[in-house]
Amino acid sequence: MVHAPLFSLLSARIGSPSLLFFFETDCPTCRLATPYLNRLHEAAGGPVIGVSQDGDAETARFVEQLGVRFPVYVDRGWEVSRAYNPQTAPTLYLVGTSGGIEATLEGFDKGELNSLAAKLGYKAQRLAGEFDGAPSSKPGCMSRHLEPQAAVPAAGPIDIAPERGKRASHILLEDAQDPYEYCMRAFGDPLPVVPPTPERVDRMLRATSLGPEQVIGLVPPCYGAATVEKIAANAVMAGCEPPMMRVLIPLIRAACDERFNLHGIQATTHFATPLILVNGPVRRELGFACAGNVFSNVTRANSTLGRAFQLILTNLGGARPGQIDMSTLGHPGKFSYCIAENEEASPWEPYRAGSAITLFAADPPRGVSEHTARSGKVLLKAICATLATVWSWRVCMTPEAFVILCPEHAETLRRDRFSKRDVRDFLFENTGVPLGAYEEEDGGEGTQPRSTYEEVTIGGERNYRKFRAPESIHIVVAGGTAGKFSAVIGSWATGPRGSQVVTYPIE
Amino acid sequence: MPQVLVNPMNEAAAAAQAPAPRLASLEGRRLALLDISKPGGSVFLDHLEQALRERYQVAEVLRERKPTFTKPAPAGVLGRLISAKPDAVIEALAD
Repeated sequence: MVHAPLFSLLSARIGSPSLLFFFETDCPTCRLATPYLNRLHEAAGGPVIGVSQDGDAETARFVEQLGVRFPVYVDRGWEVSRAYNPQTAPTLYLVGTSGGIEATLEGFDKGELNSLAAKLGYKAQRLAGEFDGAPSSKPGCMSRHLEPQAAVPAAGPIDIAPERGKRASHILLEDAQDPYEYCMRAFGDPLPVVPPTPERVDRMLRATSLGPEQVIGLVPPCYGAATVEKIAANAVMAGCEPPMMRVLIPLIRAACDERFNLHGIQATTHFATPLILVNGPVRRELGFACAGNVFSNVTRANSTLGRAFQLILTNLGGARPGQIDMSTLGHPGKFSYCIAENEEASPWEPYRAGSAITLFAADPPRGVSEHTARSGKVLLKAICATLATVWSWRVCMTPEAFVILCPEHAETLRRDRFSKRDVRDFLFENTGVPLGAYEEEDGGEGTQPRSTYEEVTIGGERNYRKFRAPESIHIVVAGGTAGKFSAVIGSWATGPRGSQVVTYPIE
Repeated sequence: MPQVLVNPMNEAAAAAQAPAPRLASLEGRRLALLDISKPGGSVFLDHLEQALRERYQVAEVLRERKPTFTKPAPAGVLGRLISAKPDAVIEALAD
């Protein structure tokens, strides 16, 4: 076992285990890791020692911004850094009671962080939970002592993981001013909103055990801090009832999850806006609609949750139409876009078990009418034809889609013994674009990358497969029990280079 | 009695950044082209690079590429651009 080189703060802890945290003040991954280490330090008897690779002023700013609660050694001249020689920042070294380095963690990784915490006797639930809004892992930056030119950070870095924000300021309006008129112009969508008076916001805040200053996420693309109080103020404006805070908190965490890439969704010229899907008992508890008119103005829960979310995206995230949101045609769902699954009318397991919200970077819904099909296969072929044109008719491999099956269509499929997976696999296998569509070499969208497409035979005809995997097609049952109308919803850019579908549980 | 509202907006003040001084001439300068990796971007930038060298006597053209146009440039790409110290960077869209 390598012996840990000693320096002042570590010498003071000889005989007790320590966790050394080498960090750079402008490194996003170091900032991401800090709140966890704060908690660990307090819960495990003070084992964390920070080693800052930057100067006094930057370190002091970092300590203040992030509310650092463990002691920090400022490593002037990188003497300690050279002795330990971490390759990246952050690097964590677990120094045992005998003074040996017992474990090392480079970068950020929730699983490894949890096991380090366990070794230090952290007994609460897991230190880093799966659904706290942070990525499961994130690589660090090059350790400062290895950088070719050691530069002091020039601009102030974005604090990506603050735990506490400031209380919201108050706005005073003259008696003669109409608050509805003022709010509509200043922060509406831009329809009239309920004025967020302190009394109304307090009622909303009393519905959660979280403090008003707690930051749930930084909302891209301007990264405004979504404190519990700011979320509550926007929820008031949207017309939410206080119990909706229970859904809004995990919703904002999910939206700020890096995998969802809200930055790109809010900045693209494409149609996309997040579709909220609600599953589980919370639908009944809070009155979410999942049957007739599920996409429209049917209940307060759907309308106000979707609206509060969009208000948060513009008022805290800054993606206001005509300013940062430069979408070419926009999306009617930017008023509100929230549905629940009709689990009671579905013959299959729900999209997600238990109370949960799912976010998908979504096109508007496209209708598929099929009233005369007598079999599941004929019905699915109609859906395939619409699926084949999502994004654009000759673009394959990159899009994903949600297929919203109405209960009557789901019943037709059940009768023909389709499981939910059978439906998805049939749609995957039978959705394609005929090779003939590419013959003219006309340079149209989707024709250039055709060498990466997969050729398959569908109905005796050669096609390129539309989707890259069966998992690109998501099946949900929703809507009323009369009328054989289903819907296909295309995606924005997908996968690790676009937006990934995220699901968060609702407590 | 004035009416009171809780401010529902982002209240973080963004520091104003002055634009970098403009170059009086491109001749003999080192420029960097940042390809945001949209389709057709490299074709456009190849032509731009050629024009910068031939028509404007740019001394050197550095090329960097974001892994995806859907996300901000990662620290590695920005770090390489900054440490190369070009006289100017052209961030290039495409489509």
